Amino acid sequence: MSGLMLLPVFLPILAGSGILVSSVTAKQKKAPDLTEEARNKLHLFSAAVLVVSAVLAIVLAWSGDLSLTLFYLMKDIPVFFHIDGIGRVFVTVISVVWTAICIYSFVYMKHEGGECRFFGLYLVVYGVLVALTFSGNLVTMYLFYELMTLTSMPLVLHNGSREAIMAALKYLFYSMCGAYLGLFGIFFLYRYCSSLTFTPGGTLDPVLASGHEGILLIAIFAMLLGFGVKAGMLPLHAWLPTAHPVAPSPASAALSGIIVKCGVLAIIRSVYYIVGPDFIRGTWVQTTWMVLALMTVFLGSMLAFREPVLKKRLAYSTVSQISYILFGLSALSQTAMTGALLHVVFHAFIKSTLFLVAGIVIFQTGRTKVEELRGLGKEMPKTLWCYTFASLALIGIPPASGFVSKWYLAQGALEAEIGIFSWLGPVVLLVSALLTAGYLFPVTMHGFFPGKSGAQNVWKKQEPPYRMLLPVAFLALMAVLLGVFPNPLIQYFGQIAASVL
Amino acid sequence: MAFVQNLPFISIILSLFAGPLSSILSGKKAKWINLAVITIIGCMSAAVLGFVLQSGKPYVYMMGHFPAPWGNEIRVGLLEASMALFFCVVMFLCMLGGSRERSLEVEEPKENLYYVMVNLLLSSLLALIYTNDLFTAYVFVEINTISACGLIMIRQNGRTIEAATRYMIMSLLGSGLFLLGICFLYDVTGHLLMSNIKEQVTLLSESGTYHIPLLVSLGLMSIGLAIKSALYPFHAWLPDAYGYSTLSSAAILSSLVSKGYIFLLVKIFYRVIGFDVVRDSKVINVLFVFGIIGMIIGSIDAIKESNIRRMIAYSSIAQIGYIYMGFGLGTTAGVIASVFHIVSHAATKALLFVAASGLTDASGDSTDFFDLTGAGYRNKLAGVAFTVGSLSMVGFPMFAGFISKLLFAQAGVESSHKMLMTLVALAISTVLNAVYFMKTVIRIYTPEWKAGIEKKNFTKVTAMQQPAKSVALVCFILLNLVLGLGSEPIIRLFENGLKMFA
Repeated sequence: MSGLMLLPVFLPILAGSGILVSSVTAKQKKAPDLTEEARNKLHLFSAAVLVVSAVLAIVLAWSGDLSLTLFYLMKDIPVFFHIDGIGRVFVTVISVVWTAICIYSFVYMKHEGGECRFFGLYLVVYGVLVALTFSGNLVTMYLFYELMTLTSMPLVLHNGSREAIMAALKYLFYSMCGAYLGLFGIFFLYRYCSSLTFTPGGTLDPVLASGHEGILLIAIFAMLLGFGVKAGMLPLHAWLPTAHPVAPSPASAALSGIIVKCGVLAIIRSVYYIVGPDFIRGTWVQTTWMVLALMTVFLGSMLAFREPVLKKRLAYSTVSQISYILFGLSALSQTAMTGALLHVVFHAFIKSTLFLVAGIVIFQTGRTKVEELRGLGKEMPKTLWCYTFASLALIGIPPASGFVSKWYLAQGALEAEIGIFSWLGPVVLLVSALLTAGYLFPVTMHGFFPGKSGAQNVWKKQEPPYRMLLPVAFLALMAVLLGVFPNPLIQYFGQIAASVL
Repeated sequence: MAFVQNLPFISIILSLFAGPLSSILSGKKAKWINLAVITIIGCMSAAVLGFVLQSGKPYVYMMGHFPAPWGNEIRVGLLEASMALFFCVVMFLCMLGGSRERSLEVEEPKENLYYVMVNLLLSSLLALIYTNDLFTAYVFVEINTISACGLIMIRQNGRTIEAATRYMIMSLLGSGLFLLGICFLYDVTGHLLMSNIKEQVTLLSESGTYHIPLLVSLGLMSIGLAIKSALYPFHAWLPDAYGYSTLSSAAILSSLVSKGYIFLLVKIFYRVIGFDVVRDSKVINVLFVFGIIGMIIGSIDAIKESNIRRMIAYSSIAQIGYIYMGFGLGTTAGVIASVFHIVSHAATKALLFVAASGLTDASGDSTDFFDLTGAGYRNKLAGVAFTVGSLSMVGFPMFAGFISKLLFAQAGVESSHKMLMTLVALAISTVLNAVYFMKTVIRIYTPEWKAGIEKKNFTKVTAMQQPAKSVALVCFILLNLVLGLGSEPIIRLFENGLKMFA
């Protein structure tokens, strides 16, 4: 049974590599663009592989705590897969969102070109992500974390312009520096922890660690900063608003919805499963972490507020929203952690919806700026409704999902013994929620009520094809529904939080 | 005595005689003989490795039936056999990968001379690995130096002659110091066989007499070999020697020749002086400090370099620094990390040299950084191989370099007072490595029109046009993956081998 865990990891990786290789050989035959037939084949193949792996991954994840040791890198450092609560949650969210985005991109990628390369890489990244969530120890996680950076980078430079390549470079450079900061921390933890296997509550050996607290805290802080790069935490968030707008929209949706969450996963793993929350409670690390997270929440919203390009605005919004999660984690309380995990799930659905909508607009009209979106509701009402539902959820208007997670985050902050932050945190979250409304709603308002100012008063209907709209509608629906029926999630996340705190 | 036990001796003699034999053959025949010799020796080393693995203990092979302390001896353990095998594999791939360049850059009447040098070099490397006699080691160190000079100089232009002269001067200085060290040691102990010297040294260090001569001798030998393997302040000869010589020479020099000397140093530490004595001396602290400086200075020089061959050469200085830093930690874990790095660096550096030449082939033979723009598209296999090599150097998981870094870091955190310095040096050097290797990878994957450079219409090179080089590249990539993913048994092999040393 546990051997099956290899399948959702390696099936997409092999299939994706197969597509990549075949596209390279096809190019040598000087085939121009894909023919319709070849395109259909490619779509069918990728969809089949992805669906099979996703279903398998989810089924495996929920069929108990499986473990599998692949091989040893060194004595006592195996490459080791293990599924636990956190991994289960992440793999489910990743699989669902990834499949939805994939269906959407079948239509979308027609106008971007390079479809073989895109879908090949897209499958490979999925395999790597599944492996990342299945990882059972720090070194395995690091291995797949780096692999994720490397394989997702070509998605950013997809259109091959100078701007895109520079953005991809920036992404690569930030991520690598971050990962090495993380690795630096791993070296220390290897010395002072009884093992690097993820254990709820941490494995830090108090006997070994006594007397070396100072250096250990520095190492942990380096890990927070390093893995925080992927999660877009200050001061190393700058890659995010550069990389998102140039990537094709499905890729930005995947980056923003999923890949930044892996930074969060890495932080959860290192803080809650290796170091143990008690070690950093009340230290300067926790304080700095909270300060950085709250600053990012606020600054991200502010930057989003004054950003004219829609995709860039959404990217800044991601910066801000991921730090909601990080703030919840930094409070080190059960309720706040539940809130953080809820926000991980909700934000994945919400932000991918938003990016996909931005993609639809680009696909149908080629507009990128917010002010050009006036009258969008007349042109493509269904699309804009999806956008509206997702924005409601992100702002946190009950009963949509964001409300639930923000409620728990605020509650958690108030409960936790974190001094001034227990009220400062909720205040910042609230202000940022107002800003969120401020930067998301204008699109809806001007979209449905364009006014008479523009020269154009006749709106041409240009709804996107259903194969594009359905995945978006599904994601938007999830974003709302999960907020209406959040109880199973809350219970499950509460259990996870209770096990580590 | 099993027949297999003769094989180390046979392999040294075989390559030693293949050298003079090549001098009367035509270049083409010499080439095939050379490849055959390397293959045969590789197989024999594998058989020896199998034998030692099975018997589980090292053995001493007496030459000419004169018992110690008069006769000369060969000693074979796990580490020796595995190194010999590995060196043969890498040398074979280097010769394969550089065959096209050799036929272009070496004048035809001199071609067989090249193989004379390569065969002699192989025999001296094997002798350095296997010998149990310090003076024999010295003799083969000299043979090694001379043949390496030949390898540099065979491509005739002003820069290589200058480089070879510099190499010669520095190397002879190194051998001189090494010889002086041996003289001191002979004076104090009265022996030249390693095991006998060690007995005496142990007695001396217990009694506390002759402390200073021992220290001086250890220092002289370490510095001598450090010069020859280009540890930081003695690295000036290296960039030209690696940068301008023909491809297979550069690859062999960087991956094997310097490593042979380092391996000899490991042997001296363990088999001649005894690692406890070495640890108590201050010599390793010197090696540690210069290793770290080398790691950083080498990378900075590489960043400033715009010639890709020289950039890879400078990166060697940094990597040699890693190895000496591992020795400097003064723990067995540190030495194991260094030994693993010897292997991983040899595999990766040779890969990089061959891949870089594939890229320059597709850029009108220019080694200039800007001409390489988009070369990854013009020669796809070389592009992929260079990327793999770079990632390994930067320490990307899955590749050999990552395991080395992990081992160094583990060894570093075990030693309490050198921990911080090791880790900080590793971190800085990793970032510096990332800067210049990633810069190059990105350069070769930037299409010309996007980089704002006028199109130069360089010819494309497909894998089929250069079959030998393509095979070598694919094998190097596989070797790198094997070292990066299947590292656990290899590390265990080295651990056991090092135990056999004592």
